[in-house]
Amino acid sequence: MIEFDNASLIYQTGTKALDNVSFKIEKGEFVYLTGKSGAGKSSLMKLLMREENLTSGRIYVDSVEISSLTRNEIPYLRRSLGMVYQDFKLLRKLTVFENVAFAMQIVGASQKAIRHRVPIVLDQVGLSNKARSAIDNLSGGEQQRVSIARALVNKPTVILADEPTGNLDLLVAMEIMDTLESINRSGTTVLMATHAAEIVNSRPKRLLTIDDGQLVRDVEGGVYHLGD
Amino acid sequence: MAINTKYYTKTALSGMANNGLMTISSVLTISCCLFLFSVFLLFTLNVNYLGDQIKSQCEIQAFIDINLSDEEAQSIYNQIKTAKNVNTATLETKKQAFDNYSKQLGGNSVALEGLEGEDFLRNSVKIKLVDLSLAQKTANEIAKIPGVAEVKNRQEVVDNVINATGFIKNASFISMLILMFVSLFIISNTIKLSVASRSEEIHVMKFVGATNWFIRWPFVIEGIFIGIIGSLISILITSIGYAYLYKSVIGVFDLLKLYSPSDIFLPVSLLVALFGCFMGASASTLSTSRHLKV
Repeated sequence: MIEFDNASLIYQTGTKALDNVSFKIEKGEFVYLTGKSGAGKSSLMKLLMREENLTSGRIYVDSVEISSLTRNEIPYLRRSLGMVYQDFKLLRKLTVFENVAFAMQIVGASQKAIRHRVPIVLDQVGLSNKARSAIDNLSGGEQQRVSIARALVNKPTVILADEPTGNLDLLVAMEIMDTLESINRSGTTVLMATHAAEIVNSRPKRLLTIDDGQLVRDVEGGVYHLGD
Repeated sequence: MAINTKYYTKTALSGMANNGLMTISSVLTISCCLFLFSVFLLFTLNVNYLGDQIKSQCEIQAFIDINLSDEEAQSIYNQIKTAKNVNTATLETKKQAFDNYSKQLGGNSVALEGLEGEDFLRNSVKIKLVDLSLAQKTANEIAKIPGVAEVKNRQEVVDNVINATGFIKNASFISMLILMFVSLFIISNTIKLSVASRSEEIHVMKFVGATNWFIRWPFVIEGIFIGIIGSLISILITSIGYAYLYKSVIGVFDLLKLYSPSDIFLPVSLLVALFGCFMGASASTLSTSRHLKV
């Protein structure tokens, strides 16, 4: 599903963001990506989205070597990866329904398909009754659910969540985790970057730890300590 | 595609509304540029038209030996008629020349009294040319025809007309090029602001998998709209102004005339509208290529 093969990323400033990182994630897995701030978690996500280009090594998504993709092919890679951000990145002038529909509109879906699919996804994240609400009228947790719905609406094979609970209190964060786990149970692979020890330790899963750009730990059901 | 077209148009219109003041100032500036473009265009077309009229009135005149008879003059006329670069040729007999000269003298024609039938004017052939730039060469060739005594060529007038129209055409072309770059710069700046004001939306579009052209199209359409509105305003001002100018100068020159507004309005308007669209689309495409980083 996802494979990093000696992947390295050195920025033009000379900063080594990732150093010979290798791992594989199989279809349907839920994997935590942990590490201190600046350890390289976001750089790894950016490489998967092809926001950055590898300096050396290879990355495969669904057996496709993504650094060989042309500029015109990159949008199609991104459609197979649903992205969820810590700051939600929602469009404030649009309603909940419109934010989710926007992702379908961009890939050329028909109005009929949009009207059919968006309510299903909003129901999946528990926001059926908020479809017409303005974004600013939602709580942080609800906004993150909209963001998850938007990531899900085009039926991606993988959800990449970059600190999805970073802006939320623990109770709401756990609800978001429930949603992500439910999505994972339906067969979607989830790679979640986080440094929330309470979440990782209360819901043990495969744990990848990055430190100073290197993969220092890859364990099933590992425990995460702040400072790891 | 139908859905996308609706989306692109809606987004372009909301982009224009969100940057209202900048859009208005762009439209007005483009109108000014396109107005100047129309003025140069009308000026060039009319200079060409006037040049053609002046050139059509320019002719060379071949005088036939005074000692030759009218029949011999007729034979020389037939040779001149078939010479290279001759468009039309008209024989003016001694009698016709006398009558014309009398008419030109008007009240002073009394000076010619008693000279009727005297052999002091020559038979001549008035010649209009196909290519005026070859007037001297044609005059030289006609002068070689036996029996032709002299050829009068208004080469200087012709050269001046050709030089003046050429200069005006070049000056107008350069001015239009400058205006084109000014228009490109202005629309491109407006689109750049529009891109900046929608940076968040563009970022979202990128990570959910929008293609580069999906992101670009609304900006291109916005540029085209600015170009079209600008061209409509300039067409309106130009057509009113040209109609007024035409009315003012009509009758001033008897021999030379301008294109009538009804003849010239449609082609010039179409050209200005197309130029506005082209400028808008090009400026937006350039601007998004530089600032979107899609």
